[in-house]
Amino acid sequence: MRRNTILTAIALLLLIGFLAFADNFFDLYLVRILNLCAIYAILGLSMNLINGFTGLFSLGHAGFMAVGAYVTALLTIPPDVKKQIFYMTPIMSPLDVMNLPFPLALLVGGLLTAFVAYLIGAPALKLKGDYLAIATLGFGEIIRVIFTNTQSITNGALGLKGIPNTTNLWWSFGTALFTLVVIASLIRSSYGRALMAIREDEVAAESMGIHLAKHKNLSFIIGAFFAGIGGGLLGNLLGTIDPKMFTFTLTFNILLIIVLGGMGSLSGSVISAFVVTIANEWLRFLDEQINLGFMVIQGKVGTRMVVFSVLLMVVVLFYRNGLMGNRELTWDQLCNSKIWRGLSARKRGTAIAEGGEK
Amino acid sequence: MALLDMSQVTMRFGGLTAVKDLNLELNSGEIIGLIGPNGAGKTTVFNMITGVYKPTIGTIRFNGKEISGMRPDMITQQGIARTFQNIRLFKELTVLENVLIANHLNIASNFMEAILKLPRYRREEAAMREKSLKLLDRVGLLEHQNDKASSLPYGLQRRLEIARALATEPKLLLLDEPAAGMNPKEAADLTVFIKEIREEFDLTILLIEHHMDVVMTICDRLYVLVYGTMIASGEPAEIQSNQQVIEAYLGVDEDAENQ
Repeated sequence: MRRNTILTAIALLLLIGFLAFADNFFDLYLVRILNLCAIYAILGLSMNLINGFTGLFSLGHAGFMAVGAYVTALLTIPPDVKKQIFYMTPIMSPLDVMNLPFPLALLVGGLLTAFVAYLIGAPALKLKGDYLAIATLGFGEIIRVIFTNTQSITNGALGLKGIPNTTNLWWSFGTALFTLVVIASLIRSSYGRALMAIREDEVAAESMGIHLAKHKNLSFIIGAFFAGIGGGLLGNLLGTIDPKMFTFTLTFNILLIIVLGGMGSLSGSVISAFVVTIANEWLRFLDEQINLGFMVIQGKVGTRMVVFSVLLMVVVLFYRNGLMGNRELTWDQLCNSKIWRGLSARKRGTAIAEGGEK
Repeated sequence: MALLDMSQVTMRFGGLTAVKDLNLELNSGEIIGLIGPNGAGKTTVFNMITGVYKPTIGTIRFNGKEISGMRPDMITQQGIARTFQNIRLFKELTVLENVLIANHLNIASNFMEAILKLPRYRREEAAMREKSLKLLDRVGLLEHQNDKASSLPYGLQRRLEIARALATEPKLLLLDEPAAGMNPKEAADLTVFIKEIREEFDLTILLIEHHMDVVMTICDRLYVLVYGTMIASGEPAEIQSNQQVIEAYLGVDEDAENQ
């Protein structure tokens, strides 16, 4: 037990050290990718709580993010900037003068998203499987259409510009860590077990005395809360948002992350969020013109998405559990793994690493 | 007063009447068998008692309180637990987790207390664990506590399902074909086990079973259901010699009838 605490502390210090280093020495492009990684980790974790742990096939994540992003943006854009960007239709009061510090705005964004989830969860969560997926997908689209048309609140299709770029590495990684800790704590509690029971067998869970509606709503609302916060961070990272950002493609990206990482694995979601986000940038060369020497392939924007589609198909066909299945990466596991045992055995010159045993 | 009292209960699915005018009474401490050929509506009776179906007509009272139409989880809270004909364990979870989940219905802490691991939640979690481990020890599954439920051999899965039902602290336990797929030896063990838990946990048991050895040895009374209608009830010996029951089970020899 103590060993794990020490290892966690060391890992945290290393992360802080790395962030401090990255904050000072990395170029803006790299910092932005790192920020995106952390934000996608938040989104992946929150969607995994709903889809992976509770077994609710929900596709409303882009909608939740939109609510969070808009609320946070509207609360952080300075009043005089608001006047400039709402030049078509003036912004309605009291939004024109409202202004909150970033963390508070994020929190309000998260809470409002959770409230929206509560409203749509009550009817939608009565549905199961594909029907729930379609209902939540519809919700995401409805939110987008509403945001396009409520011009005095959201500035419609013009979107919001001039959002202060408050999101930095500390905010994004701090929030990601917070999300991880909260969701992990929930999953490991009696409530988490109840959620997994619902995923495993709804009928049995109900006959064991688990109030299905209450627990499904709980998972949906907590997931939406963090999706809203993730959306808020994203808006304040990019500095500009518009309804077209929050289409189904965004939900699909997060779905890709949790399927690749493993439905029902928090560590899988985090790892996969980093891998997918970084690969997404790294594969950009596919969108450009490629000279193979004997022939030149004309670049088409979006080619890299094909790679992800193929990857997803391969995973679904041959490796259905994803990277981690429903297991977690723990210190015990790492210390017991063959690689680590081999290393420490060599170091000590003993055949078996005793540190690997409990 | 009867612990469970079903009076004039009818369950219709569209044009199909699965159970018709059923009257059934269970007294505290009894082991009652519900038998009948396949498709007689036995599991439908279970599903009505546990709230999966709401009876079309009629009332079900438990402990004097009307429970027909209640949500299944509320009925479990009243003190009725069940097992399933086709085992329905939480397959991907461990044996211990399966039993822990059945303790969740009594939790007083809310989810915030659980996330923050506040003292009250810690106490409850510790108590749940202790209780579950004791129960696993009692049913002989303690050594498997960290195994995945689906990795257990069939007989132990059945046993775990009973243990999970017991963890909800029921007064009435409904067992849906507990001995299905068991060999005579296993079935005999199960018989002993059911008798033991009845004593220890002060249970009333209603069971559906096709193994007649099991039914005849442990049941105080039997109800016989055929095509949704109860054709006989009484002590095992009476049922064994009841002409109607024999006909329902073995069919009627047409030659014999003609003579």
